[in-house]
Amino acid sequence: MGRKKKKQMKPWCWYCNRDFDDEKILIQHQKAKHFKCHICHKKLYTGPGLAIHCMQVHKETIDGVPNAIPGRIDIELEIYGMEGIPEKDMQERRRTLEQKSQESQKKKQNEDASDEEDDDDEPGPSFQHPPAAQAPASYNPAMGQPAPVMPPAGYQGMPPMMPGVPPMMHGMPPGHMHGMPPGMMQMGGMMPHMMQGMPGMPPGNQFNHSFSRMPPHMAPRPGMPLMGQPPAAGSGMPSRPAVPPAQPAVTKPLFPSAAQAQQSASVSAPSHSAPSTEPPKATFPAYTQPPTSSSSASSSNLSSGGGAKPPVPVTSKPATLTTTSATSKLIHPDEDVSLEERKAQLPRYQRLLTRVGQPHVVGQPHVVGQPHVVGQPVAAAGGMMPPQQGMPPQQPGMRHPMHGQYGAPPQGMPGYLPGGMPPYGQAPPMVPPYQAGPPMGMRPPVMSPAGRY
Amino acid sequence: MSLFGTTTGFGAGGTGVFGATTTDSHNPMKDVEVTSPPDDSISCLAFSPPTMPGNFLIGGSWANDVRCWEVQDNGQTVPKAQQMHTGPVLDVCWSDDGSKVFTASCDKTAKMWDLNSNQAMQIAQHDGPIKSIHWVKAPNYSCIMTGSWDKTLKFWDTRSPNPMLSLPMTERCYCADVVYPMAVLATADRGLIVYQLENQPSEFRRIDSPLKHQHRCVAIFKDKQNKPTGFALGSIEGRVAIHYINPPNPAKDNFTFKCHRSNGTNTATPQDIYAVNAISFHPVHGTLSTVGSDGRFSFWDKDARTKLKTSEQLDQPITACAFNSNGNIFAYASSYDWSKGHEYYNPQKKNYIFLRNAAEELKPRNKK
Repeated sequence: MGRKKKKQMKPWCWYCNRDFDDEKILIQHQKAKHFKCHICHKKLYTGPGLAIHCMQVHKETIDGVPNAIPGRIDIELEIYGMEGIPEKDMQERRRTLEQKSQESQKKKQNEDASDEEDDDDEPGPSFQHPPAAQAPASYNPAMGQPAPVMPPAGYQGMPPMMPGVPPMMHGMPPGHMHGMPPGMMQMGGMMPHMMQGMPGMPPGNQFNHSFSRMPPHMAPRPGMPLMGQPPAAGSGMPSRPAVPPAQPAVTKPLFPSAAQAQQSASVSAPSHSAPSTEPPKATFPAYTQPPTSSSSASSSNLSSGGGAKPPVPVTSKPATLTTTSATSKLIHPDEDVSLEERKAQLPRYQRLLTRVGQPHVVGQPHVVGQPHVVGQPVAAAGGMMPPQQGMPPQQPGMRHPMHGQYGAPPQGMPGYLPGGMPPYGQAPPMVPPYQAGPPMGMRPPVMSPAGRY
Repeated sequence: MSLFGTTTGFGAGGTGVFGATTTDSHNPMKDVEVTSPPDDSISCLAFSPPTMPGNFLIGGSWANDVRCWEVQDNGQTVPKAQQMHTGPVLDVCWSDDGSKVFTASCDKTAKMWDLNSNQAMQIAQHDGPIKSIHWVKAPNYSCIMTGSWDKTLKFWDTRSPNPMLSLPMTERCYCADVVYPMAVLATADRGLIVYQLENQPSEFRRIDSPLKHQHRCVAIFKDKQNKPTGFALGSIEGRVAIHYINPPNPAKDNFTFKCHRSNGTNTATPQDIYAVNAISFHPVHGTLSTVGSDGRFSFWDKDARTKLKTSEQLDQPITACAFNSNGNIFAYASSYDWSKGHEYYNPQKKNYIFLRNAAEELKPRNKK
């Protein structure tokens, strides 16, 4: 981040109070949401521009900026991106953001999601504490250029009492401090470095040299103006270079404020919240995040082509009901019932269950004709299940053991329930006695009363 | 030898690449067809675990049967065995050692099928159809987890007729997944609950659904250290949500993406939005596949947030999918899922299971 934060933190939309990563995205958002003609969908550049267009082309007047929160619908205000925002609204915004960042700092301890806006705004307190720990790491990237001049990593701005500083540093500063305390304050950090560079030089010369050398040294240093910086800024400076590498989630504040913006402007832009936040990070401009609450795909698109931003008015509204809108249709019969439940309700499958349930009443008489036991009820039920007919040949191999298990309980084998199910091993021996078939019919009743197992 | 009683045409083994009929769109991807597919919609597919040699595929169907095929290295599939329930089979899973297969059915029971002896015995009972079944293998216990439309989630030690644990749900269980020590369950009314399975299964967290429509399928994914870290949830609205359990930045890490929709960029005609029927993760690459009612399957890389591939459209919805244990085979089933209601059901239409080589297409995309 360069000088002072750009126009107070991240670009935000005056019309709907939403935050954006980038001014470009903000402008795209404004054009799509606020400066778009509702008649011909042409995107204009400003509010007044839109008003003029509507008047000239469609002979229609508009009385407010579309999708703007109440109080911000002034069509006459010429706002483009962050330009043109009235000063008092800027200040209000700054205040609200500061408030938020304080709240979220507290929350930070409790939750994962954190608001990183503090980094820029509070250089002093938060970054002075772990100076020793942070400095070496954070300055390494910044140290690339001046390295030859300042070997021991830039403790610039750090109090000369740095533990990591070579011993010779310790000697120097106190001596020079005496000489020019006020000056030292500002160059305090610089001096030691100068000294290191020229250990042998007499103090006076050093100062002179340091003055002349400052600018060149300072120049390469990214964004670190030396003169006139208050000591607090000195420690703030370290924070700045540290910030970009250390805080990757520049987009973090996006969501909390996006969420906030959504609350305040929930009506205005549910479907567009996603596109504005996507481009910075997704290689595929098509993913929506949960905070955007509205399920509806909104204009962020995915589909096979991986299309980009143009708002494709896809999908239905976020409803729990199956909706059919003009632009999309959900191929699913019922929201409240799953496809399997629907299918299972069919008589074809129901009959199967009830047939089995009917049981013994039908089954027993047929027991004698054992191989047909299954076949007959099936026929009775209308011969629905072809596979069933295929079963008899398999029965000896497969079904009996199962029935064998079930057959046990009704025979009143007390050992069955408490003892748990007999292991497989027992099944085969049990099969022969039960081949007579009663288990077939008996099974269902077993399942219900003893069904609780 | 057709083990399955009612095989039709394709019965006699062989490679089964019968895509010979020219304009037939039942297999536009020209994938290997599994021989002797079930006669009704296939509800679930599962491959054998890596602990046993070879690849065995289990498929459950609405014809009340569960079939087992051996998938050979040359792609040939050999039907091996079959078990029956008295109601449509809704879910299947393997035990960790590959010796048993567990099957859950609309007949309100779940069975344990011992493949060696080819015997199946009932091990669970619910008051309603059992929609999901998973094997849980913990260091100090193992059990079966069953989720049912009777709004309960039960855990069964297969030796006892009573459940070890029964947890009531607010709604019917629609789908679940287990990767020890995490289990996730999605219910009707967009409920979503995560369980932790250490020591004893217990509810870990209830999550507000990231999706706005009915939950349809869920699959857990793991992180680089092979620990379960989140899940993918699919809904009937052509959308999948990737959700991490404890992400460093939930707002950024969790996301949803749209899939299984028709005419992506053409906005002239209304877009058809299809349900996501199943999601499964590649065991090696961590990329995922989704299959939908639109009759397509797609491969995705959730870390690069990109789509890797979308298939051609089959003439029927794809109802189930699975990867084998080493990730070389991707199986998907083509059958009617009732997404267009009863009117579109054609009992004459055959159901298929296709196998595709998944080694190359599922490789993650390098992050730009």
